Amino acid sequence: MKPADKKAYDRDYALAKKTGKPFFPYAIFKDTIVAGLTIVGIIVLAIVVQVEVGEPVNPATTDFVPRPEWYFYFAFELLKIFANQDVLTPVIMATFMVPNIMIILLVVWPFIDRGPERRIWKRPFAMGMIVIVTGMLCYLTYLGANSPAGVASQGLPVGGLDEAGTAGMQVFMNNGCGSCHMVAGVGAPGPGPDLTNFGSKGWDEAKQIAWLKAPNPPMPSYASLPPADLEALATFVNGLGTKYK
Amino acid sequence: MTTKDIGPKNPVQKSADATIDYVDERSGVKTGTRWFLFRNIPEGTSWFQTLGFTAMVVFGMQAITGIILAMYYVPDTRGGAYESIQRITEEVTWGWLVRGMHKWGASVMIIVVFLHMARVFIWGAYKYPRELTWVTGAFLLLLTMFMGLTGYLLVWDQKAYWATVVAVNIFASAPIVGPYIGDILRAGPEFGPATLSRFYSIHMLVIPGAIATFIGLHLYFIVRLGISEPPWSKRRLRIERDEEDARREAARERAKALPGAVTYPATWPAKAEEGVR
Ligand code: HEC
Ligand code: HEM
Repeated sequence: MKPADKKAYDRDYALAKKTGKPFFPYAIFKDTIVAGLTIVGIIVLAIVVQVEVGEPVNPATTDFVPRPEWYFYFAFELLKIFANQDVLTPVIMATFMVPNIMIILLVVWPFIDRGPERRIWKRPFAMGMIVIVTGMLCYLTYLGANSPAGVASQGLPVGGLDEAGTAGMQVFMNNGCGSCHMVAGVGAPGPGPDLTNFGSKGWDEAKQIAWLKAPNPPMPSYASLPPADLEALATFVNGLGTKYK
Repeated sequence: MTTKDIGPKNPVQKSADATIDYVDERSGVKTGTRWFLFRNIPEGTSWFQTLGFTAMVVFGMQAITGIILAMYYVPDTRGGAYESIQRITEEVTWGWLVRGMHKWGASVMIIVVFLHMARVFIWGAYKYPRELTWVTGAFLLLLTMFMGLTGYLLVWDQKAYWATVVAVNIFASAPIVGPYIGDILRAGPEFGPATLSRFYSIHMLVIPGAIATFIGLHLYFIVRLGISEPPWSKRRLRIERDEEDARREAARERAKALPGAVTYPATWPAKAEEGVR
């Protein structure tokens, strides 16, 4: 805004204030009604849809298909959309850059859109932005709510487990690999690839450990796992479909 | 006999007035309250402008129900967290209601804050001089979402646990800093007792403190700058109409002042606008 526009706004607002009404009771009156109705609504929800206590935590089972809270659905769906792209550029763009650019845009928006115009129909760009962003968020949340739920079961249905295999399966489940990968029909169908027959790829342990330590995003790094766990996990994953099936 | 106003006779009222005056003289509360409550706001403020206050009230409700829950909750993974939630839900008087309100309140607060932000955005209320109000608000939105993330784990049932594993994995998948963020959130390489204590302390102390601070800043800006006027308030529409009329009048004057041949085209803009009306 140019200094003249600022002055004009200040003058105009001072006028609006002079011919205005006191905050108490005019604004407080409406505020109290809406806030009161909202609280009543929350109490009604709490009574009608009562909270439950779920199963106690058991990191060793996948009888539950992992899912984030609904307001993080959009982030999880974003991961799915941009999964399986190759190395660095597009992936970093998608899963790291997109949300962070959105956050930064959110914070600095007033310093980008600085024109004096406030009327809705005279700001097509800003209105277009909010329609697109809101639409995208709603769509991704909808996708998340309706995504194929994945298949849950007690433990992974793979046979032939030796000692290392059992330990590896435990690590696999403890770390939520199943929230991105499917093994023998158990787990979530994305964003990561199905690992049921991963063993046929013939990775050796070193390659697998190196991958787990520094995978392509959006798969998180597991570099901080204890070395013994990493080894067991690598053995287990490398044997899927060959040794363990 | 003439009456003279000598103030209230009632000694209780007298000393109460004196006390208030004493405190006001030193702290300015009375003046401050008056300044806060009886400041003018533009006429015709809209129902949409109640959403910020509503977000604040819901936050207050979350604080109160949260304090009650904290009286019974035990942040211990080795038999404590889950059992205390069970006790709150099944045994403690009204416990299920308090927990239900806190849980629903979290979702409602996110929706209300988002709607509030949408109203500010659509109205252009973030423009001069309210840019910093918006910035403090943007941080409030992020903090509110973090509140949801950290609170969800505390229930320590399967759903909560795995939802949090997934959410932390999302953060941990960021390039370069991701693994460090993951370690910080988990309090180590794996989920465990330390993770729960960490989330508990972040959820109970760190974020509420930050939200309260930012709400304070937010309110300071709002009261200092005044709440914006709806872009379509009666007063604004009248001003816009007057400006329009003045412009058209000027065009007509200009047209009159011009000699014959140029007169006709010069009236076109005014005529065209009249046609549009
Ligand atoms: C946030 C989701 C996510 C989580 C959690 C996750 N992964 Fe992945 N994983 C992926 C994605 C996406 C890919 C594909 C990456 C690529 O190829 O660029 C992948 C690829 C892989 C691959 C290579 C597959 C191939 O065919 O090249 C292996 C092996 C793997 N993951 C194992 C694991 C293990 C073991 C865990 C648990 C410790 C795990 N993943 C956790 C998302 C995830
Ligand atoms: C915990 C969350 C929040 C609380 C408690 C809160 C509270 C308030 C209150 C009480 C007002 C007064 C007017 C009204 O009620 O509309 C207000 C105005 C405002 N808020 Fe928020 N707010 C929150 C989040 C946000 C967010 C996320 C943004 C935007 C990113 C934002 C930006 C603004 C701006 C710019 C104003 C001034 C609007 C005007 O003057 O018309 N706030 N807020």
